Amino acid sequence: MDELLLSKVRLGIVAELLNFDWVAFSELARSLDVSNGNLGAHVSKLLDAGYVEEEKSFVNRRPLTRYRLTRRGRDAFSAHVTQLQSLLKEAK
Amino acid sequence: MERIDAARARDHIEMVERILAEAQPRLCSGGEYFVVWGIAAAYITVLVHLADRGLVPVLALWSTPLVLAGAILFSILRGRKTRYMPGRASLLQREFFNVLWLTIGLAFICNLAVYRIFGGIAASAIWSVAQAIVLLYIGMHGNRRAQVAGALVIVSLVAANFAQAGMEAYILAAGMLAGYGGFGVSELLARE
Repeated sequence: MDELLLSKVRLGIVAELLNFDWVAFSELARSLDVSNGNLGAHVSKLLDAGYVEEEKSFVNRRPLTRYRLTRRGRDAFSAHVTQLQSLLKEAK
Repeated sequence: MERIDAARARDHIEMVERILAEAQPRLCSGGEYFVVWGIAAAYITVLVHLADRGLVPVLALWSTPLVLAGAILFSILRGRKTRYMPGRASLLQREFFNVLWLTIGLAFICNLAVYRIFGGIAASAIWSVAQAIVLLYIGMHGNRRAQVAGALVIVSLVAANFAQAGMEAYILAAGMLAGYGGFGVSELLARE
């Protein structure tokens, strides 16, 4: 099991990014229903592990931070979900 | 090392499945391109046909480059504006734009440089083919609206082929409006 993805919030972040080119921080917080501080802490762990990449810019003079899933993050998610499914099968 | 039991694993899997189900392949932005290009293609198709039959003055054909220039200008300006639109952009959207520009580029080449082969109604039909490729490409990624719209454009192509002389342009234009433009409207509504 990927220890980083054992956290429900971090697993949710990676799942949210899976089908998107990029997703803004505010959009992630809204979708996952978590506070900005909580999300920021979890995202920074994913950034450190190289699972997601961050891009900061300004749109209409307002800061915009958005995230994209890396190949490493995609592979880790895929392997982790497969292991979760195996665990469920064994439990049955 | 942290352990995970079956109940927690089920909870996590259910969350992942819910998130992925909500992320049904969609464009996020881009519906307006279909509306603009659907209307522009249909307008040019009918106008050229009417001018060909002498139903409108040939001078009216000069509106064609203006309409095309307007559609291109809109696409460029809108593309620049939506490039950093807050929120999210789907993977499908990025791939879709590549296919869109490729097919539109090829249709332009056919119209401008292969006009002896793709002359007359074939010049319009090549736009329907390009539109069908774009729509079916999006449809391939699971977007049912695009599948239906692509099928509509193909049906209009086949119907135009078997229609009585003089009706081809109207049928192709109807396919462009209902299929291509209609898909754009449905995407804009879905985005809301």
